[in-house]
Amino acid sequence: MKLNHLAIGVATAVFLTACGGGSNSSNDDATNGLTTSGELNLDNVRSLLDTNADIALAAYNDSVATAEELQDALASFRADPSEANLEAAKKAWLVAREPYGQTEVYRFRLSPIDSTDYDSEDGLEGDINAWPLGEALIDYVQVNTSDFGDDQIGVTANGAGVNGGGAVDSENFDDTSPKTNIIGNTSIVIDQDLLSNTATADDEHDVIAGYHAIEFLLWGQDLNDSAGTTDGTDRDEAVKTEGASNYAAGGDRPLGDFIPSYDADTASGNDDVDASYDSSVESHRRHKYLEVAVEKLIADLKSVRDGWVEGATYRTAFTTISSQAEAREKLAEILTGMGTLSEGELAGERMQIAFSGNSQEDEHSCFSDNTHRDIWLNAEGVSNSYYGTYAGYDSTLDGTDNETASAVNGYGFDDLLASMGELQLKSQIETALSTTAAYYTEIDTAARNGSPFDVQIMAENRTSDSSVAKTIVALNAQSKIIANIAEALDISGSVVDEEASGCDTESPTESCD
Amino acid sequence: MKKRQVVILSRQPKAVTDRMLSNFKPALCRLSAFILIAFSLGCTHEPEPWGTLAQEHKPAGEATVAVPRPVRFDLPVPQLSDTQKPLFYAGRALAQQPWVKAPTATTQRDGLGPLFNARSCLACHLNGGRGEMPDKAGESLFTAFVRISVSGLDEHEGANPEPVYGTQIQNQSVSLSSQLGIPPQPGELQAEAHVSVRWLEEKFRYPDGHETVLRKPEIVIRDLSNGPLQSDTMMSLRNAPGMYGMGLLAAIPEQSLDALADPQDKNSDGISGRRNQVWDPVSQSIRAGRFGLKANRPDLPVIVAAAFAHDIGITNALFPHQPCTQAQPLCLKQPDGNDEEGTELSNNLLNMTVNFVRDSAVPASRLGEQHIAGRQVFYDAGCQQCHQPSFVTAGLPGAEYLGQQTIWPYTDLLLHDMGPGLADGRPDFLATGSEWRTAPLWGLGLQRKVTGGRLSLLHDGRARSVEEAVLWHGGEAAAARNYFIQLPMVQRRELEIFVEAL
Repeated sequence: MKLNHLAIGVATAVFLTACGGGSNSSNDDATNGLTTSGELNLDNVRSLLDTNADIALAAYNDSVATAEELQDALASFRADPSEANLEAAKKAWLVAREPYGQTEVYRFRLSPIDSTDYDSEDGLEGDINAWPLGEALIDYVQVNTSDFGDDQIGVTANGAGVNGGGAVDSENFDDTSPKTNIIGNTSIVIDQDLLSNTATADDEHDVIAGYHAIEFLLWGQDLNDSAGTTDGTDRDEAVKTEGASNYAAGGDRPLGDFIPSYDADTASGNDDVDASYDSSVESHRRHKYLEVAVEKLIADLKSVRDGWVEGATYRTAFTTISSQAEAREKLAEILTGMGTLSEGELAGERMQIAFSGNSQEDEHSCFSDNTHRDIWLNAEGVSNSYYGTYAGYDSTLDGTDNETASAVNGYGFDDLLASMGELQLKSQIETALSTTAAYYTEIDTAARNGSPFDVQIMAENRTSDSSVAKTIVALNAQSKIIANIAEALDISGSVVDEEASGCDTESPTESCD
Repeated sequence: MKKRQVVILSRQPKAVTDRMLSNFKPALCRLSAFILIAFSLGCTHEPEPWGTLAQEHKPAGEATVAVPRPVRFDLPVPQLSDTQKPLFYAGRALAQQPWVKAPTATTQRDGLGPLFNARSCLACHLNGGRGEMPDKAGESLFTAFVRISVSGLDEHEGANPEPVYGTQIQNQSVSLSSQLGIPPQPGELQAEAHVSVRWLEEKFRYPDGHETVLRKPEIVIRDLSNGPLQSDTMMSLRNAPGMYGMGLLAAIPEQSLDALADPQDKNSDGISGRRNQVWDPVSQSIRAGRFGLKANRPDLPVIVAAAFAHDIGITNALFPHQPCTQAQPLCLKQPDGNDEEGTELSNNLLNMTVNFVRDSAVPASRLGEQHIAGRQVFYDAGCQQCHQPSFVTAGLPGAEYLGQQTIWPYTDLLLHDMGPGLADGRPDFLATGSEWRTAPLWGLGLQRKVTGGRLSLLHDGRARSVEEAVLWHGGEAAAARNYFIQLPMVQRRELEIFVEAL
């Protein structure tokens, strides 16, 4: 390894150097077989940026659309709380995750998901997709003194509903003690204010909003630790996956938690008035929570999506370039998102921690056991950004993208590298992306065959040749090549984070302020 | 001392950097060793005490990373292997993702509180950097808290906990009412208090007539949950310091720090840095302190484990008790998030978090030619006597790659009497109520990019700029501060710009 890797993407993700990094636009370094002229074709870069923005718009549009379908499914479930409608709502949630998962590559680059002004880290990501969830604040959870010890039965066997089954979180307390969750404390008004003000408290997130709050309310805690297919009467024979959508069952919240429900007052024409809603009835409160949470989710997704619409301030700022430095800066942003998601977020914070933590439910979608799709879709997003393509999403949950109305096929890094003659690098990254895809497909296949991610990371399965381990290694390998692409594009050498440094590398003798 | 020429960064810094590293590295090590000796003897002989711009561009040697955008201090040092990197990020997840109230199905992530100051490490150590003090009176503290103790010593001769509230006021509780900010129901665990500050402003007038406004905090505590604090309670407001580069600070050899200490001020330079002597729960013995604002923790595992237990309420093998005293039965009654090891954070995960802290890299400096004048002011004022520019590290077990690096942290990690203006009056082991550990300066200016252009410097975040921080320096630093205030404004500004570029 060369010593001057400092100036390049040292931590694999791509960083912009500050003042003093200097300009080095005639990189004739042949270490990676790279021979760049140093000059980027700005029209090609514009095509790449436009495609990158088009994909974001399409995937966020699909995220909004599927969230609206989830809203419809939740409304039908409220109108008629049947097993079939609960199943339909769960399926709608799983479908909603399909396009959203592909958008996560737009994180870590101050795009609208993370920033409202392309500068501050004040975006809505925490409201939309934060995790771990503060589930004990929302609804009843299983209590036992050793926490997830040997006495896990309860929720799955609790077909009679919340309080009847005894699996209520005040078990450790006196009878006089308060209901310590939002559903149970009927004096708390469940509305947008509750979720908005609490989900984004000033200091950090109390995670009670977003996809995973809805997931928890639909599925309940996943207290299964077996891949077996059983009737759910005890821990060793927990409910499992065969009959469920996506073959992923996870938690098994009893239908009784949602009965009775209330009618929306459609006659009045005022959506805010629910004629028969009784805030003292816990099952009503669960429906209300779902209603409010999905409404907020849709609003938040729209807000992010709107930053990518043609003419929007962010999109214009992102896609408009007039110099080599600007071109490199924008490309660096995309590569930062790709590299950071590959290595730090997905391989590290979402997979390695679960893999090494001996924590079965330490997984992204722990209630629904849909984590295998999170992994697939996050990794697919990286590939989308590279190839400049978006194939749509999968609404039938069979692993094939059948909703292709908003598919994009544009100009990607593959085209840019080809135009620059960087064929060896192009081949390296494409091989790496295929390798990653092969391994995450193994995780997905195993999950569909009855061993969801939380089973794949159980102690006996935690081996270095497991699909999970191989996916982690492959993601790391691919992020290194992403850093090499940054080097080939000479990104780090010429982009100055002028505000951080306050000085100008082109005129180093000038004052920094 | 007259200005000296230094190596000027060329237009092709990568090439320069390469040459510096491949050809000059042994010389560089000798040079740094010499610097340390020269300073401790009060010698002013050649060579220059500072490094070349190329050297100081990498304040953590090979453990430096380019400045990322958005700015963050929680990125891995470049030397990590392919197998270490995912573990680094796993550790970061433990430091970054919010801990949640027990019980949850996510068993390794629950056990928050019951009383706590923050839900995660990085909630206060913003992006791995420093915290931010609110300007507004009455606004709840998020990245800062108040340490408390009463007269006397604890069993290990450290600060003596307040009998009801312990050693710090936890201003959050896991209860629903506390989380939602609604009035508590009977029987619900309340946060220990609402804590805020009121800023008392005072004008400072330079000899040249220029004026600036300084502020110091008045701690405001209301709604104490278990009655008033004992009458002799001592309070110390603490803003979260940066977490990056701590592995390199840990890798500075003990003897390098011991050599800098001069408790009796034998060289009569008015500066008597000394080391704290603190309790180590691992070895069950007294060791030299290195980390913490009063150097009250001996090493990384202890300071990380202590912060988990006291700031977040996550028990671990080193600090196995919930943050509740016997006088807080409702707190003791809350469900815990214990695993089969009997704590909320297993040793495996604690080590992972410690290694994350150890391996968090220092961003490159932004030093250029335009900072040479400010650097001269820094050295002429004598700032470097405590803000020791450079050390050569030794390897740490399991992190040999952090060794043999020439680093530029600008701290001696020693306790110094900073005078009455900064005193908190709360002793901690050997550290008196007016002693503080010299703060590292590396990466300081980048903090502005994390906290919306603002700085909250010094132990309680009172200083909004390097200038204000310097003006608060007293005690052993009085001479340097007095030199500073006599300077023309241009030079004062040059010093600030230099420090912010480190």
